[in-house]
Amino acid sequence: MPVLEFEEKTLDDAIAVACEKFKLPREQLEIEIVSKGSSGIFGIVGAKKAKIRVTAKTLSLEAAAERGKEILTEILTHIDLPTVIESEIREDQVCLNIISNGTGLLIGKRGKTLGALQHLVTKILHREVGENVSLIVDTENYRSKREMSLTELAQQLSEKVKKSHRSLTTGPMNAQDRRVVHLALKEDLEVRTKSKGEGNLRRVVIYPVRKGKKPQKAAAPE
Amino acid sequence: MKDLISYIAKALVDKPEEVGVTEIEGEQTSVIELKVAKEDLGKVIGKQGRTARAMRTILSAASTKIKKRSVLEIIE
Repeated sequence: MPVLEFEEKTLDDAIAVACEKFKLPREQLEIEIVSKGSSGIFGIVGAKKAKIRVTAKTLSLEAAAERGKEILTEILTHIDLPTVIESEIREDQVCLNIISNGTGLLIGKRGKTLGALQHLVTKILHREVGENVSLIVDTENYRSKREMSLTELAQQLSEKVKKSHRSLTTGPMNAQDRRVVHLALKEDLEVRTKSKGEGNLRRVVIYPVRKGKKPQKAAAPE
Repeated sequence: MKDLISYIAKALVDKPEEVGVTEIEGEQTSVIELKVAKEDLGKVIGKQGRTARAMRTILSAASTKIKKRSVLEIIE
């Protein structure tokens, strides 16, 4: 966790500045008073500034988003491409959206490059703050488009499963994609989903739920 | 290209001062050699080589832009 020092005219000022810097309420900060500061006589003679040392107890998502954005910007400057990055916080997740001139360069085959960027930024951020931050890197709405097509695929597969009463398996998918499939079929009581396989070959199996049996949903892992 | 790998590697390891990156440029292909402290080797490779693969992916994306090829070698 980063430790920072602040020096302001009064103690309250210093604390306010610290809260602003960490983007956290006062309760989330551990404040150590180095010197209280005094206004001196009539506020002129012997005035001393208040100094505090502040440690953040938890990392605010805003601060993480800010830092993530910086890391991503730094990486992208080395790729000769004009980009602008927007950061946003959505349901405890940091979303970094890259706005670029719209070539598929940053997406790569099946989102490979985007995934690589996301992996590295998450890893670097984790190292710096010592806390796992859920972070998503997106560009040109690739993620939401992919989510839509995956949901569609899941629905098609589940229809097939219902008709044939046989289980079906998707192709190998990463954790993020599998999650989308699980979530897409969560509400469907006629099929249940499970992940199978190891490492990169992990895939989702969609099973039919037999009639007569109590419809029970397997908890979607990951 | 060199700076890209150097930045990423330095951000990942515990001993950034021991990160060394050399670039051997060829006509079409350049080879980038990355050297890190022994105890940091695992950090730049990652679980099942995931981090190394991510670095290679970004490297190839970056070199496509300048119409070249780059290979990343991690040296023990």
